[in-house]
Amino acid sequence: MDDLSEYGMTCTVNRLDPLRHPRLGPVAADPYPWPYDGTVAADQAALMCIDWQVDFCGPGGYVDRMGYDIGLTRAGLPAAARMLAHARAIGMLVIHTREGHCADLSDLPANKRWRSAQIGAEIGGPGPQGRILVRGEPGWEILPEVAPQPGEVLIDKPGKGAFYATQLDLVLRTKGITHLVLTGITTDVCVHTTMREANDRGYECLVLSDCTGATELGNHVAALRMVTMQGGVFGCVATSDAVLAATTTGDHHAG
Amino acid sequence: MPAEPLPADQVTVPADPGPFGFVPSRTALLLIDMQRDFVEPGGFGESLGNDVSLLAAVIPPLRKVLAATRAAGMTVLHTREGHRGDLSDCPPAKLNRGTPTMRIGDLGPKGRILIRGEYGHDIVDELAPLPGEVVIDKPGKGAFYATDLQELLEIVGITSLIVTGVTTEVCVHTTVREANDRGYECLVLADCVGSYFPEFQQAGLAMIAAQGGIFGWVAPSVAYLDALSAVSPAAVGAATGPERS
Repeated sequence: MDDLSEYGMTCTVNRLDPLRHPRLGPVAADPYPWPYDGTVAADQAALMCIDWQVDFCGPGGYVDRMGYDIGLTRAGLPAAARMLAHARAIGMLVIHTREGHCADLSDLPANKRWRSAQIGAEIGGPGPQGRILVRGEPGWEILPEVAPQPGEVLIDKPGKGAFYATQLDLVLRTKGITHLVLTGITTDVCVHTTMREANDRGYECLVLSDCTGATELGNHVAALRMVTMQGGVFGCVATSDAVLAATTTGDHHAG
Repeated sequence: MPAEPLPADQVTVPADPGPFGFVPSRTALLLIDMQRDFVEPGGFGESLGNDVSLLAAVIPPLRKVLAATRAAGMTVLHTREGHRGDLSDCPPAKLNRGTPTMRIGDLGPKGRILIRGEYGHDIVDELAPLPGEVVIDKPGKGAFYATDLQELLEIVGITSLIVTGVTTEVCVHTTVREANDRGYECLVLADCVGSYFPEFQQAGLAMIAAQGGIFGWVAPSVAYLDALSAVSPAAVGAATGPERS
């Protein structure tokens, strides 16, 4: 606390005490210790939980209907749930995204609909989990393992990227968020698109390799490697263990 | 000026994962970041240890595509990645990340690195924009963020993009992802996009066409040229004639 009486003011200002306010970093990450600026206060970092929806990793959902192995898209779920609990405990902003469309499909680009029909899982069409990728349907809901809690931010997006046609950027700037930790699915599609959008907007990004997954393992691996090239062209890759180990709280230095 | 009236008929290109149809009057050729610093020997890209011949290999087929597209009277758009001289549009996370030997704004072999107006920032001579062609200067990897690209496409009435340029997995991919979310149909010409890393060239192209074409379509440039020639006699001569320099 600084005494400002010498300036003719009677109020005092609370200074952040690093031993009472959790911080992240430096996290052991590839290709550099994350973040670039050393450490970040937990309340200036957000955990992005991207598209953990039944349609992408539940039986009878969109990805299952297309014939992919949902075991691959679910692979990161336990680690992501643990990371989510950690983020809540240290006061990170938690953001959940959901890909989906209005019931009248007025926000569904024609080519996206056409392509989904070609592969046998037309968006808006009926399925075991309700209308595919339509808001409010069972398949569109977030899995219970990583379900949002009251007060957490929900972003409904019509595209792969969480910034396009949403209020995500406005929410992040309003909350003073400068750093993003990304989990979710799929690594090469929605996670990567969102990370690219965030990177262009100046957010310092870290994607967690064990908290993501793709419809093909090769795409998962390639997408993570792409992040690390050219000195970290989109940011960094780390494990959730590394984030937990690099979290400094008021009570103890974890790890 | 167009050499002939724009074909109004749909053109169909054999592509992966299926035929790509486009109407030339509503389609633009996008050349992404064919800048000296990325592509030419002695530039910034090579100074980082990259094999720029992998990117330069894009130029010959792209010249043919550019010539045929111009001859058909279609819209041509170029992009350049770069920043203002005072770096006021360069996020700290981009400027200070990692420990590169040279940073954005430093003096490189072809001028200040990634700074607008510098020699290395400009487009290679072989693909130089013609008067009247739009050049989009972008501060990020994606051509839609913090630019007027979308407004320009809407004004001209463009709904489909033929995408070329470098690098496949970074600026090409980011731009195709942005375009796809905005409802534009994208055909990526496989031999007209390039990467410093062969594995990413392959993976980047595969990702576009995966899941029924989740981001768009992929085809070799010859398939595009053949399809365009079928509706535009001017494009035939432009694509097959002697190369001008």
